[in-house]
Amino acid sequence: MEKKYGVYICKGCSIADTVDTEKLAEVATKEHQIPVCKSHDALCSPSGLDLIKGDISGEGVNTVIVAACSPRAKHREFIFPGCIVERANIREFVAWTQEPGTEDTQALAEDYMRLGITKAKNSFPPEPFLLEETNKDVLVIGGGITGMTSALGAADAGYKVILVEKSGELGGWAAKMHKQLPQSYPFEALEENTVKRTIDKVSSHSNIKVYTSAEIEKIAGFPGQYDVSIKTNGTSEQAKAGSVILAAGWRPYDANKLDHLGYGKNPNVITNVQMEEIASSGRITRPSDGKEAKRVAFIQCAGSRDAAHLPYCSSYCCLTSLKQAAYVREKNPNAMAYVLYKDMRTPGQYELFYKSIQNDPGIMLTKGEVTGVSETQNGNLFIDLKDTLLGENIRIEADMVVLATGMEPNTKIDADVLKEWKVKFDEKLKESGGKPDPNAPLEPHKVPNVLKLEYRQGPELPGLEEAYGFADSNYICFQYETRRTGIFAAGSVRQPMHMLGSMEDALGASMKAIQCVEATEKGYSIHPRAWDQTYPEVNLQKCTSCKRCTEECPFGAIEEDAKGTPFHKMTRCRRCGTCLGSCPERVINFKDFSINMISSMFKSMDVPEEGLRLIGLACENDAYPALDALAMNRDRVNPAFRFVPVRCLGNLNLAWIADALSRGIDGMILLGCKFGENYQCHFVRGSELASERLGKLQETLGRLMLEPERVKLVQLSIQDYDKLPEILNDFSEEVGEMEPNPFKEF
Amino acid sequence: MSEATVVKPDLDFVKEVIAAGGESLKKCYQCATCSVVCNVTPDENPFPRKEMVWAQWGLKEKFQGNPDVWLCHQCNDCTAYCPRGAKPGEVLGAIRKQAIKQYSAPAALVDIVNNKKLLPLIFIVPAVLLALLLSVAGTFGIHEGEVVYSKFASILFLQVVFTPALIFGLAVGVLGVKKFWDDMKKANNVQSGDLKASIIATAKDIAGHQKFKTCDVSGDRYTSHLLVFYSFVALGIATALGVLYIDILGLESPFGFGYGTPVKLFGLIGAVAILAGTILMMSSRFKNEEKLGAGSYYDWLLIGIVGTVGLSGALSWLLRLGGAASVAYPVYFIHLVAVFSLFIYLPYSKLAHLFYRSAAMCFNKYSGREAQSQGAGQS
Repeated sequence: MEKKYGVYICKGCSIADTVDTEKLAEVATKEHQIPVCKSHDALCSPSGLDLIKGDISGEGVNTVIVAACSPRAKHREFIFPGCIVERANIREFVAWTQEPGTEDTQALAEDYMRLGITKAKNSFPPEPFLLEETNKDVLVIGGGITGMTSALGAADAGYKVILVEKSGELGGWAAKMHKQLPQSYPFEALEENTVKRTIDKVSSHSNIKVYTSAEIEKIAGFPGQYDVSIKTNGTSEQAKAGSVILAAGWRPYDANKLDHLGYGKNPNVITNVQMEEIASSGRITRPSDGKEAKRVAFIQCAGSRDAAHLPYCSSYCCLTSLKQAAYVREKNPNAMAYVLYKDMRTPGQYELFYKSIQNDPGIMLTKGEVTGVSETQNGNLFIDLKDTLLGENIRIEADMVVLATGMEPNTKIDADVLKEWKVKFDEKLKESGGKPDPNAPLEPHKVPNVLKLEYRQGPELPGLEEAYGFADSNYICFQYETRRTGIFAAGSVRQPMHMLGSMEDALGASMKAIQCVEATEKGYSIHPRAWDQTYPEVNLQKCTSCKRCTEECPFGAIEEDAKGTPFHKMTRCRRCGTCLGSCPERVINFKDFSINMISSMFKSMDVPEEGLRLIGLACENDAYPALDALAMNRDRVNPAFRFVPVRCLGNLNLAWIADALSRGIDGMILLGCKFGENYQCHFVRGSELASERLGKLQETLGRLMLEPERVKLVQLSIQDYDKLPEILNDFSEEVGEMEPNPFKEF
Repeated sequence: MSEATVVKPDLDFVKEVIAAGGESLKKCYQCATCSVVCNVTPDENPFPRKEMVWAQWGLKEKFQGNPDVWLCHQCNDCTAYCPRGAKPGEVLGAIRKQAIKQYSAPAALVDIVNNKKLLPLIFIVPAVLLALLLSVAGTFGIHEGEVVYSKFASILFLQVVFTPALIFGLAVGVLGVKKFWDDMKKANNVQSGDLKASIIATAKDIAGHQKFKTCDVSGDRYTSHLLVFYSFVALGIATALGVLYIDILGLESPFGFGYGTPVKLFGLIGAVAILAGTILMMSSRFKNEEKLGAGSYYDWLLIGIVGTVGLSGALSWLLRLGGAASVAYPVYFIHLVAVFSLFIYLPYSKLAHLFYRSAAMCFNKYSGREAQSQGAGQS
C-alpha cells in the first residue's frame, strides 16, 4: 500500500493554550513534507472526525497521525478502517504536564510530532496469520463436576468436545457426596446430589465424546491444531482439538500426616471424605463400635493454613463441615455438632448458608486452635482448644471427630517424585555433555504429569511457587488463562473451590476455549492483546540459532527444528514481543512494531547541543496509564522527557539504547512492572528480562565512555502514578549532574 | 497453659433460651459489636458477647451465679447495632428468665407463670381464690348505694389476704437472692467486701436510675421505667400511710380523707405515673419493634399485670366517684386480682428483676468490679 499521510492537530483540551499549533504543523509540513496537515478545535467532535474522514475519502489519506490526546483516550473515535492510525500524545504529555508557552514546551510537542510521524512511517497494515485448517474441538481433561460442566458449556454452544476421565466413571468427588450444598438463592437448605443428572447429560450429549479409564499420553501442536494421544484400555487413540480445558481436579490431603489431630491413632477420628460415606450409608455411626455418634466435632483447617502441611486455605472445608453438621442434625434431632474453626470462610453467597446452619440450636461453633485430640476412658474423644471465643482453654468431649481435610491439586508433583525426576534429568544432561547442578531444583512443569505437552519448555504448565502446585498462572486480569495459550485451567485444579464455584469456573473456561479457537481461525491474538492481528515475523536467514527467544518466550510459543533453528508456533503466541527484545540479531519484528521503528523514532528527535534530552520507555499496560494518570492530576514533568510506549518492557532491545545514546540522548528511563512471582506483568516477566539484558549493557556503555547510570530501570505498578513525579525528577537531576552526552555533537 | 475447662454443651438449655424469647440467639457470630456499644457493661470481660456464645453452646453452668446478665438493663443498644440481628438484649432477657427459674423456688412456677398457654389460668386461680375468700367473708357481690369498696373487701380482709401474699412474694425473692449471692461469690471467687456501702451505693443508683440514663437508642425506657418505679414507691407510701393510721396509730382509715392529704396525693400521683409509665413502655416496644424486637411474652406479661393494676385502680376510683356500682365492684375485683397476682408472682414474673438485678448491681460494687472498671475508664 502506498501511504498517503495526513496529520491532524487538535487544539482542544488546552493544547492550543500551551503550544503554538501553527509552528507545530510546520514540523509535519516542512520537516516531513506531509501533504495534508490540518488542525481543529476539537478533533474528537463529529466535525473534527468528519474533517479526517473527508480527507480519507477525498484526498486518499490512508495513514493518519492524530496529534491530540493519549492513545488510551478517545480510542473509539479515532478508528478509521483500512487506515494506519498513530497518535501523538500532546495533551497528557504536553498540555497537561508542561508550562504553557515556553520554548521547552514547544520543543517537546514538536518532538512528539516527529515521533508520531516516524512511527507511522515505519508501520504497516497487519496481515493476519491464518492456519490452513483450524480445528475447533475442545479437549476437556477431567470428568468431575468442572470437566463435565465445561464439556456441556462448549457442547451446548455447538462445539465438539472430547472428555477424558482417568477413572472408570464420570462424576469425580462431587458424585460421592451424600448431599450437596444449595446452589441457588436463598442458599439455605441442603440439596439432593444432582451430579447423576449431569453425568447423564454428558453421556448422552451428541457433541461430547467421553473416554473413561483414560489418560492423556501426549498433546502436540498448538491452538487450532492440537494432536492428542489418549491412552484408554491399553490402546492409544488419536484425536484432534483446537483448545484444551484442564479440569483435572483435586485430591484430599493425606490425613495420615495429621496424627497430631488423632488421625490413625483413634478410629473415631475420620476425614470429611469418610463422613460423606458414613452419611450416605444411613445413620451417623462411628467406626470403632458402630454406635451412633451423637456428639460430632469438626476440626477445621485440618492441614490447611498450616505451614507444615498446606499453607493455603482450601476454601471448601468450612462449607463441607457446615453441611456435614447438618447431616448430624438431620439424622438425629438430639445430636449435636461442634464446629471448631480458625476462621469461618464461606465464599460468595454461602454466607447465607452459614447463617442458616448457624441458626440450628444443635450446631455449636467456636473459633479456636486445637491443641490436641485424646481418647477418654470410655472410648470417646477429648478435643483441647485454646484461644476460643468461650474465653478460656476448653476441652470438649465428642463421640467422633471429623477432620476437615484440605485440597491438593492433581497437578501437584510430590517432592519425592520431583527428586526422582531430578536424578533422571541430571543423568540425561550428563550424557549429552552438560554439567548438571545438583542443587538447582527441578521445575515441576518439566515433569510429565497430566497434560504431557510436547513443548520445548516442558510438558506441563509453568506454575507459581505461591500457587502450591495449582495450575493457577496468576495470569493477570483473567483467571482461566495459563502460560500455555489455548490451554485453560478451571475448577479445583486451578484454585481450591467449592462445587458451585467449580461450575462457574468451568463455564468461564469453556467460553475462553471457544474464544480461543475462533480468534485463532481469524488470525487474532487472544488475551491480553485480543484485538491484535500482527505477529512476530522472523528473518530466519539472519538467525544465528542462539535460542534466546525460545528460552525467554513466556508462553512456550517458540520451538526449534532438527537443526536447532527456532521457529514460532504462531497460534501459541500472544504477541508480547519478548522475542523481539531478546534477539541480538534484531531479526524479529511486527508489522506495526519493530526494532527499526523505535530506533528511527529516537533518531527523528531534535537533539540540540545544549539542553537535557531524556527518553522514557513505558510499558503500555501499567507505566503508560500511570503517566496519563499523572497528567490527569496535572503534575508537572520535566520537559526533557519524551515518552515512548512499548508492548512490554520485555521488548527492550539493547540496540535501542545504543541508538538513543549515540544520537546524543542524555539518559533513558525504563518504566516497567514489578519483578517477582507476585507479578503484575501481562507477559509474566518482561521487565525482569529487560533488567537482565541491561546487565549486559553496562560494559558496552563503559567502552563508549558513558556512565552506566544514564540508563535506569524503574519497577512501577499502575497505582504508583503519584510516585512518578519524584522518580522522574530524581532521574533528571541525576543525569543533569553528569556531563552532557558527548555524542550530541555528532 | 492453664487447666482446660471441660465444657458440657446442653442442647436443652439452648432450646429453653430460644423458647424464652431468645429466637435470635444463634444468629450471633461473635463480632462483639454489642459489648463495644453497651454503655452499662464493665470494661473488663464485658457482656453480652460472652453470654451469647455461652448460651449458643448451652453452657448452663456459666450462668450459675453470673451477675452480668443482670447488670444488663436491656437498653437494647446492642440489639440496635447488631449486624446480624442477633438481638443480644432480647437474648439476655431470655437468659434472665432462666436465671429466675434457677433461683426462685419452685422453678415450676416460673414456667407456669410464663407459659403463654396458661395465661388464663394464672389469673383464674387467684380470681377464684379471692372470690371464695370474699364469699366466706360474706362481702362478695354488688352492694347497693354509695360505692364504698370496704363494703366489698374490708380493710381487715385486705390485711389478712394481701399482706401474706406480699410477704410470700418477698420471701421467695429474698431466699432466691441469698442463693444467687452465694453463687455469685463462688463463681467469681469473691470472699469479702463492704456490703453496707455497696447496698447504699446500689440504692442510690436505683433511686436515680443512673444506669438506665446511659441507654442510647431506647432512652425513653429511662423515663417509662422511672415512672413505673416511682409509681410503686408512691403507691407503697400511700399504703404504708394507711397501715400507719389504722394499725399503728389506731386512727380512722385515711383513705376517706380529702384530696389535699398526703395519702390521696401519693395515691393519685402513683396512679398517673403507673398509667403513663406503662403506656410509654408499650408504645416504645411497638415503635422499636423492627429494630429492637417487641419483647417476649414474659416481658409483656409483667407490663400487662402492672398496666391492669394501674388501669383497674384508676377506673375503680372514677367509677366510685361516678357511683356506678354495677361496674365499679367488678372492676375493683379485677384490681384486687391484679394486685394479688403482682404480689404472688413477684419472684416468678419478670418483676423478679427487682431482686436479682439489685443483687447483681450490689455484687458488682461489693466485688470491686465496678470500681475497677470505672478506674480503667478514667485512665
